[in-house]
Amino acid sequence: MTFRQFAYRNVVRNRRIYAAFFLASVFSVMVFFLYSMLMFHPGIGERFITGITLIGMTAADVVLYVFMLFFLFYSMRAFMQARSGEFALLLQIGMERRQLGKLLLLEMLLLGAASTASGIVLGFTFSKYFFMIVRELLQLPALPLYVSWEPFLMTAGAFFSLFLLIGLLSAYIVSNRDISEFRKGIGGEADPFGYSPGRAAAGILLLLSSYGAALLAGRVNVLYLSVLLPPAATLGTYYFFSHSILYLLDLFRDQKSLYWKRARIVSLAETAAKLRDNANMFFIVAIVSTVSFLSVGTLASLATYTAQYRALNPLGLVYESFPGNPDEYEHVTGLMEELDDAGLEYTHVPLSVAREDSSFSGQPINILREGEVNRLAEALGAGPVQLSPGEAIFLPYSTEAAPRLRDADIRTELEESGVEVHVQGVVGGLLLPAYSLGTNSIVVSETDFVKVASAQPDSLLRIHAFDVPDWEETVGIGLSIEQSMMMSEIQQGEALPYYFKNPGLDYSIIRSTFHLLLLTGLLVAMVFLLAAGSFIYFKLYTMLDRDRRQAAVLKRLGMTEREFIKIVNRQLVPQFFLPWGIAMLHSTFAFISLQAIWKEFADISILKEMALVLVGFTIIQLLYFYLIRWRYLAHVKGPT
Amino acid sequence: MPIVSIEDVIKIYEGKVTHRALDRLSFDVEEGEFLAVMGPSGSGKTTLLNLISGIDMPTSGRVMIQGTDPAALRPDDLARFRRKELGFVFQDFNLLRMLTVEENIVLPLTLDRLPVAEMDARVKAITARLGLEDILHKRPDEISGGQEQRVAIARALVHRPSIVLADEPTGNLDSNAAREVLDLLGTINRENRTTFIMVTHDPIAASYCDRVLFIKDGAYYNEIHKDDRRRTFFQRILNILSLLGGNVDDLSSVRLP
Repeated sequence: MTFRQFAYRNVVRNRRIYAAFFLASVFSVMVFFLYSMLMFHPGIGERFITGITLIGMTAADVVLYVFMLFFLFYSMRAFMQARSGEFALLLQIGMERRQLGKLLLLEMLLLGAASTASGIVLGFTFSKYFFMIVRELLQLPALPLYVSWEPFLMTAGAFFSLFLLIGLLSAYIVSNRDISEFRKGIGGEADPFGYSPGRAAAGILLLLSSYGAALLAGRVNVLYLSVLLPPAATLGTYYFFSHSILYLLDLFRDQKSLYWKRARIVSLAETAAKLRDNANMFFIVAIVSTVSFLSVGTLASLATYTAQYRALNPLGLVYESFPGNPDEYEHVTGLMEELDDAGLEYTHVPLSVAREDSSFSGQPINILREGEVNRLAEALGAGPVQLSPGEAIFLPYSTEAAPRLRDADIRTELEESGVEVHVQGVVGGLLLPAYSLGTNSIVVSETDFVKVASAQPDSLLRIHAFDVPDWEETVGIGLSIEQSMMMSEIQQGEALPYYFKNPGLDYSIIRSTFHLLLLTGLLVAMVFLLAAGSFIYFKLYTMLDRDRRQAAVLKRLGMTEREFIKIVNRQLVPQFFLPWGIAMLHSTFAFISLQAIWKEFADISILKEMALVLVGFTIIQLLYFYLIRWRYLAHVKGPT
Repeated sequence: MPIVSIEDVIKIYEGKVTHRALDRLSFDVEEGEFLAVMGPSGSGKTTLLNLISGIDMPTSGRVMIQGTDPAALRPDDLARFRRKELGFVFQDFNLLRMLTVEENIVLPLTLDRLPVAEMDARVKAITARLGLEDILHKRPDEISGGQEQRVAIARALVHRPSIVLADEPTGNLDSNAAREVLDLLGTINRENRTTFIMVTHDPIAASYCDRVLFIKDGAYYNEIHKDDRRRTFFQRILNILSLLGGNVDDLSSVRLP
C-alpha cells in the first residue's frame, strides 16, 4: 500500500464522515458553475450582462468563493478535532508529522477533485433547466445550451485553488502539534459557560442601540447612520454569539426551579457547549444571511417597479421631432411599418407643440392643441377636455404634479404671440411620459393654437405618440433609431434633431437586470443557508461518538425516548434558528430604516416583498431542520 | 424472595456470525447482597448487566427484578422503572462533560420532577457522605479519576435505587483510588442495605463482595461466598480463576481517548 493509496482509502472508507462536507462543496461548486455558464453565455453576454449586472454577478462569485473558504476552513477544523484520536495513533506508530500533513493535503485534494468534478457535472446537467428559468425571467425567445471551455476552467480553477489552500493550511496546522495535544483532542471541551461579563453586556447594548437607531432612521442624519450602524451591529452580533448568549443561559442556570427540571439541565448545558464551540461560525452565518436577506429583499422590491414604470410611461412609443429634422417622415413611417410587421395594434397620434415664454412666470412653456390632445386622451382611454378661446388647462408633467396643479388659477400672456389665456385646472391623468416635455405644459383651444402656431411656424415641435396596448412587446421596434442615437451620444457630436423613446425596450432591460440580480442573490442566499446547515450537521456528525455514549448514559439513567428527542430538539433548534433569527431581526430593523430612507426617493413599499422573502427562507430552513434532525436521531439511536 | 432472579436466560446475537452470549444462565440475588460477577473477556458479563437493566431483551428465559419483568414493560415505563429502581456505575465514569459535579449528581432527580428543596437536600446529604462538597461546582475535566468515580457513585445513589449495577467500577483507577471506591461501595452496601451487582475482572475488587459468581462462555461455572478474612477469600478467587482458564490478569486493553 503506497502512501497515496492510504490517503485514498482513508477518504473512501470514511465516506460517512466526509458526506456532509462533500455535499455542501458539491452544491457550491454547482452554483458557481451555473453562474459562470450564465456569465459566459454568448446569447446573453452583450445584451444583459452590462454594468451593474456584471458587477452584481462578479460580486456574487467572489462572495461565494470567500464564504466557501470560511466554510471549508471551519469544516476542516471540526474534522481534525473529530479525528484527533486517529492522528495520535498514526503519530504513535511512527508517522512523521510532515507525513501526516501530507496525508491531510492529499485527502483534501482528493475530496476537492471529487466535489469539483461532481459539482461541474451536476451543474452542467441542470444548466438546461437553469437556462429555461432564466429565459422565462428575462423573456428571451431562446437561451440555448452551449458548450465552451471558460465556465469549466473558471470553476475548476477557483475550487481547485480553494481546496489546495485549505489542504496546505491543515497540513500546516497538523505539523505544529504534539501527540499529547491530539490525545486531548484539538480544541477540547472548555467550560461551556465561560464568558466575559463586560463583553456580554457590550453585545446586548450594541444590538439594542443599533435597533433603536434603526427605528429613528429618517429623523436622524441618514449618512451618519449608514456609516455607524453596520459596524456597531456587526460587533454587537459577534459579542452576542460569543458572550451574551452564554451570559443569558448562565442567568437561567441560577434559577434552580427552572433549570433543575426534567431534561432541561442536559439540553441547556449542551446548547451552551455547542453555541460556544461554534460561536464564530454562527456569527458569520448570521451576518452573511442578513446581507443576503437584505439584498434579496431590496431586489425583490425593485422588481415591483413595473407598476410604477407603466404609470410613468403611458405610451408605447414616443418619437419627438425637433424643428428642422429631415428624417421625421422616414422614421415615423419606418416605425409604423415595423409595428405592422410585428403584428402589434397601435394608434398613432401626431401632436404639435409650440413653445413660448409665459408672462406670469417668465419661463418657457409648452403649448398643445386641444383637438390633438383629445385624440391622444381617447386612445389612452382618458376623458376629453373642452376649451373655449382664451381658456387653457395644465398638462401634468408627472403624477405627483397633478394634484398640485388642480387648484391653479393663472392668467398669463404668451409673449411671442400675444395670446392671453386663463389657465385653470389640470388634465386628468398622465398622457405623455413623465418629464418628456420638461416642466410646464398647457393645452389651449383650437383657435388660440392657430394663433400661437402662426406666430412662429418654424419652431413647432412634433411629437408622434404611439399607443400600443401590448407595450411590453415593442422590444424590437425602432432599434435603428435607437442605435443612431447611441452613436451620436458616443461620438458626442451635435445634438440630433429628434428623440426616440421605447419604454418597452427600456423596461425589458430594467426588468431583466433586476431579475438577474435577484436570481443571483437568491442562489447565493441558498448556498449560505445550505452551507450553514451542512456545517451544523457536520459538527454533529463529528461529535456523534460522544453524543451516542451520552445517549446511552441517559438511557440508563432512565430517560424516556420522548425526553431524549426533546433534548435533541432543544440543542438543534438554537443551532439552526438562532443565527437565522438574529439575521431576521437584523434585516427587519434594517428594512424599517431602509423603508424610511426609501420614502424620500420613491414611493415604493417594500414591506410585502420583504415578508415574502423572509417567509420563503423560513420554509427552506424548516425543511432543512427536519431533514437533519431525522438523520441525526437515526445516527444517535442507531447501532454503533 | 430474591430481589433479582435470572431464570434460564439465553441471549443470542444474530449477525454475520451468530453468537450465543448467555447460555441457560440462572441465579438469584438477595436483597442487600453485594454480588460480584467474574469471568474472562467475552464471557457475557456486560450482556448480563444489559439484560438486568432492560437495555437488552433475553432471547429466551426470564429476568425478574423485584417481581417485575423489564422485558414486559412499555419503553416509557421501562425508563421510569430504571430511574426509580436502578443506579449505574461505569468503568469510564460517563459523567456528562458539560455539566458541573452538582448538576451531574442531581440529573436523575430532575428527571423525576422532585421539588428543588428536596433535590438540594438529597444532593447535600450524598455529597457530605462521599466527601464531594468542595468540588461541587467543578466540572469533570477539573477533578481526578477517583473523584470522578465517586461523583458517578453519588449519581447512582442519589435517587435511592434498590439495585446498583456496576460495570468494572475500578477498571480505570489506580490502586489507591480503587480501594477507596471499593471501601465506599462496601460501606454503602452495609449501611443502606442497597443491593450491588458488580461485574469485574479484578480479583481484589471481587474480594470486597459477599459472593462471587463465575461465568464462562455465557454459562454458570461456579460461585463462592466470602469468609472471615479477605485475604483467604482473595486466594480462593484466584484459585477458581486459574481453573477457569483465560488470563487471570486479563485487564481491558489500553485505549486511546
